[in-house]
Amino acid sequence: MNHLTLTERMRILAEGTKYDSCNQSAVCHSFTPDGRCIQLYKTLLTNSCSGECTYCPNRCQRDATRTSLEPFEIAKITWSFYRKNAVEGLFLSSGIIGDAERTTERQLEVVKLLRGQGFAGYIHVRVMPGTPKYLLEEIADYANKFGVNAETTSSLNYSEICPNFDYSNDVLERLKWTRDLIKKKRREVRYGERIVGSNDTQFVVGAVFEPDRDLIRTVNKFMDRYALRRPYFMSFEPVPNTPLQNAIPSPKWRENRLYQVSYLLKDYSLKSSDFEVIFDEHGFLVNDDPKMRLAYAHPEYFPVDINAVEREELLMVPGIGPVSASRIMQSRPIMSEQELARMGVVISRARPFIEINGCKQTNLVSFLEAN
Amino acid sequence: MIIAFKRDVDGVLLACSSLGKYPNADLVFAKNMGELKKKFSFLGIEEEVLALGFKPVDSTAGLVKEILGKRPAKMSPRDPKPVQYVDLVLRHRDANPVELVRFLVSCQGSAEVLYSGKSILARRYYRYMRDVTRAWQRLCMFSRPDLSNGILMVEVDSPHDVADIFCRWLAKKNRDVPVAVMQGTVAWLGNGELIGVENFTKTTTSFVSSLRVSAQQDDEVEKLWDVFYNSQMIQNRRNHKLAKKMQPKSSAILSKMAKKDRYVVERGISSCTLDRFV
Repeated sequence: MNHLTLTERMRILAEGTKYDSCNQSAVCHSFTPDGRCIQLYKTLLTNSCSGECTYCPNRCQRDATRTSLEPFEIAKITWSFYRKNAVEGLFLSSGIIGDAERTTERQLEVVKLLRGQGFAGYIHVRVMPGTPKYLLEEIADYANKFGVNAETTSSLNYSEICPNFDYSNDVLERLKWTRDLIKKKRREVRYGERIVGSNDTQFVVGAVFEPDRDLIRTVNKFMDRYALRRPYFMSFEPVPNTPLQNAIPSPKWRENRLYQVSYLLKDYSLKSSDFEVIFDEHGFLVNDDPKMRLAYAHPEYFPVDINAVEREELLMVPGIGPVSASRIMQSRPIMSEQELARMGVVISRARPFIEINGCKQTNLVSFLEAN
Repeated sequence: MIIAFKRDVDGVLLACSSLGKYPNADLVFAKNMGELKKKFSFLGIEEEVLALGFKPVDSTAGLVKEILGKRPAKMSPRDPKPVQYVDLVLRHRDANPVELVRFLVSCQGSAEVLYSGKSILARRYYRYMRDVTRAWQRLCMFSRPDLSNGILMVEVDSPHDVADIFCRWLAKKNRDVPVAVMQGTVAWLGNGELIGVENFTKTTTSFVSSLRVSAQQDDEVEKLWDVFYNSQMIQNRRNHKLAKKMQPKSSAILSKMAKKDRYVVERGISSCTLDRFV
């Protein structure tokens, strides 16, 4: 095997995490040409993996350059970037070294080393499916955020793409433990002392045939059961020399529409059942704004009187988000569209669905009714 | 009657309170007593003057409630509290403290007006507040300090007066090293007690420069960063428009590293090397 320099190893392992989504929610320090932000130094501990996940470039049977970084090397790079104000901290994932327990122990070594050196930045650990509870508890003491990827929506799908793991035990059980540990940590940690991030997980979109309806139901279920705050989606792309190399890549817009729906679940108090009307006959979202489609699917709710309705009803209007809804509630009476525009409402989207002082946009239906 | 007030949060709040009592009074502001005296002598003012905020005052919390009411008025999680709002607006290069005082008084105890954007003036001051916040956040995002002689140093050049809040942010992030932020001839020093001075203090650039042994550049870190940065891009997802919006042109003047990142955003990552021609 060729000798690889630190820079080369760093490049290979950082590339291995480019599909992992994470956010620290505070400061982005840079943006890549694809528009995604860089907040954390993202790296794998190693890309050697004993798993056989069918979509993954690091699966064990694939011919690829395998390498790893020592804990002290990861710590050194993290410190350098952190001092340079180029990142807020570290995102640490890994291939599976033998089993989940051994892998998490190695991840824990890195995290402990950094904290031992006085590192006060953000640490997000992507734990492996099947990580023992005692190690999760230890990670919770050091990391700001940790979680396991669900990847898909059911045991059957999971066994198809990740044949080495069991969905209900290795993933769902860990999501439950993570939820409980976060709850416990939030009780223990005093305000301002440390950030305790919420439960998070990631789905691979399109690696197996699963309609968006299933994904949205799963996200909603995870929000209720595991206090999931924010799901991440990553479109499947076929990797050469993997069993799914000839599969069809998932379109990027699908990922965007799923994110939009997840925000509607998170910030607009909608439930997965509310979206039934906007799926196509196969249960997939179409490439259109889900909130706009919801509004068109319920003409009986509109137009709403901007000066009279409750906040929940305002939130259903396309072009009005949580912030502008609050502004409207506190600034009534609203006399004109200009006032709404100044409050951040996107008038071109909202106009067909609102009424201001008895004035509303006319449409064909009302025109026919009038005649 | 003239109300003269200091150009800071306390001065503005005290002026608002007094303007309620003397609604016909004229307003004059100054950075300090010296500037105020100069203004008066230049204008030849001999009327009764009420000078406010030039001596230390106790708490202004009561004043905020008196002027802007007791209800919490934030409309989004990112909105600052009314006192912070006034502080941020005063840092804007175009802010007119006299107009701000009159605007706050016109709120008539309703802080919601500050955030609602309902009137043109409310919209303008909300925009000022957001401009200053954005300028400060841009510094937090794109400035890249150098660790020199054990001190984290960075030079900034912002149109608004935000160097001190940026220094506080950087010092909080790096509690174990002294931090210096220089803007023009003025410098702010955070975590100063680590080098035997006041914990957070305003000083001169020359003093901070004297602490620096040499202006060395840590090229190794920058090279590592370039490797890491390039590794994170997903080629078939290139989004020129979004990336340019997120990594704006203005970020390039904040640091060399941000300038390189912006260049990559503009031009993409070259996949062609000299080796291909050999």
